[in-house]
Order: sequence, then C-alpha cells, then structure tokens
Amino acid sequence: KLNIGVDTIQHGVEGLSYLLTESSKLMISEIDFQDSIHVLGFSDELNKLLLQLYLDNRKEIRSILSELAPKLPSYHSLEWRLDVQLASRSLRQQIKPAVTIKLHLNQNEDQTTQVLQTDPSTLLHLIQQLEQALGEMKTNHCRRIVRNIK
Amino acid sequence: QRFRFCGDLDCPDWVLAEISTLAKISSVKLKLICAQVLRDLLGEAIEYEKILKLTSDARLESGDVKATIAVLSFILSSAAKHNVDSESLSSELQQLGLPKEHASGLCRSYEEKQSSLQDRLRACSLRLSQLGSVCWRVDYTLSSSELQEVNEPLVHLTFNVRDGERRKTVAVPMALSANKFRVLLAELKQAQALMNTLL
Repeated sequence: KLNIGVDTIQHGVEGLSYLLTESSKLMISEIDFQDSIHVLGFSDELNKLLLQLYLDNRKEIRSILSELAPKLPSYHSLEWRLDVQLASRSLRQQIKPAVTIKLHLNQNEDQTTQVLQTDPSTLLHLIQQLEQALGEMKTNHCRRIVRNIK
Repeated sequence: QRFRFCGDLDCPDWVLAEISTLAKISSVKLKLICAQVLRDLLGEAIEYEKILKLTSDARLESGDVKATIAVLSFILSSAAKHNVDSESLSSELQQLGLPKEHASGLCRSYEEKQSSLQDRLRACSLRLSQLGSVCWRVDYTLSSSELQEVNEPLVHLTFNVRDGERRKTVAVPMALSANKFRVLLAELKQAQALMNTLL
C-alpha cells in the first residue's frame, strides 16, 4: 500500500521500536526526547507525533521490559501430607512420622515441582529459620534501607 | 478472634471484606450461587453465565462477582477441610456479619454436600504415585543356550504405575523365578495383614 520496499519498512519498524524502548528504558523527559529526535531532521508535525507516541506508551513498555529480567524459580503453591510409618519389611511396631511436601514452582511460564520429605523436628527448625528471616525486616538496618528506597 | 472454619486461626482480612459483598445478594440467589460453587469444588463444570445472571440484580462489578465466587469457595472448602458442622459454620458466619438468612441458606447447601466435598478433598490429597493395575503371566522355560534341560516356571509381572507428577502411566515389568515370587507373595501378605489391623 505504501509502495516502499520490504527492507525499508522493516528498518523503519526496527528503528521506531528501538527509539521507543530505549527512551522508555531510560525514562527520559519530554525535553530530552524532543532534543534527541530533533537531530534526525524530521518535520515538526512528525516530531510531535513521535513525542505523543512515546508519552502514551512508555508506561506499558516499561512494564513489559520489567518482565524481561532473568528470574529465579518463584513459589507458586505447596501441597503437603502427614504420614506415620508403622512397619516395614525389616522392622515392625514403629512410629515414624514424616511430612511429604510437593513444592510447585514457576519459572518463566514453566511449571516445575519438587518433592521433599522431612521429619517433624526438621520442619519445626525450618519454620523457625523462616520466621527469623521474616523478623529481619523489622531490624533497624532493614528499616533504614526500606525507608530510603521509598 | 479464632474461627473453627479457618482452622482455629483468625479469619483472613479479604474474607471479612467480602462478607459485606455477599450480603448485597439476596439469600435465595446466594444459595443458588453456592450450588454452582459446590459444583466447581466437586470437579464438575461451573456455569459462569448463571452466576452472572444471579448477581445482576445486586449490580455487582465483574471484580465483585469473582470475589464472591472466591470467598464462597474458601468458606465451603475450608469448612469441609476442618470438618466443621453446618450449625457451627452458620453461627461463625453470623459472627462475621453475614445476615442470618444468608448464613442458613449457605449452610444448608454445605450440609447437603459436606461428605461429597470431603471425599473429593481426600482424593485430591497429595499422592506421589498410584498402582493402576497388575498383569501377570506364568511361563515354563524348557531349555536355554546355557543348559539344555531347564524345566522351570517363570512369572512375568507388570505393574502399571500412575505417576502423580507427570500424569502418565509407567509400566514396570519384571520376571521372577518361583522362589523369588513366593518370597514376594509372603511379604506382601504380611503387609496386607498389617493394613487390615488398621482398617
């Protein structure tokens, strides 16, 4: 419809997306954006259009870019069961409680599972350690940092 | 304040907040919505359009409709999980601010389906693998490359195991001599006797 070669259009699209992603990535101000594209020598109308395009879309572009960062597997959900081993081939009359846990993890839209098993005392120790980790947020050191980030 | 249907813990804030949304729906319609939510919890298909029609009078936004389904799911499955009888559930819901008619309608639906819900939850509990079926065959070996006259029976067993994680059935085949098979059978019979003492 535009009567231009495919290559030119491809370069145009690539150039435009590079312009928008770099500008959104660096979160540059209106004036900086205008100064940058002024160098390209386009008409005033085109410059205004590009600026409007940038301002309208930068929030969405930024949210998409934030999801591109590499991620570790993240917690999705947890299933557990409590069993008691009463007997085995080698030994009868036992009482051995065990907690079986199936951890569901998400990594970049891949769902993986990990099965773990522990006895109740290790589980209590685990809970204690995790509560201590949560408690760290309340120390003065962490509070100072959080306050400065906000 | 502790609630039995929350497992003797505090009621979650979001549940408390949504109780007021539930009160906006008429008690008759709430009972019908409960029936739909119970269908979903029991593994049947939920009819979302019916729920939308039932909530249209109360003029709920789409976010509120989803919140209603979520809070009803939570209340019903959590009550079944902790084996709460419908009277206690009704009084606890009224303590949280749900009007009496709404609470009794909800609890009547719950009471009808309580044992099916608990059966379903039991079936969904974590299970690593499950024996699907066992196939067997008894052969008689006449001769082999090592010995001309073997003349021994051989049992072929195949256990079809359903793997919980990968949702596939894996076949585990094995061949046993007569003696090995006798030992296996004796041990399994002992395990079965132990299981029967627990039933």
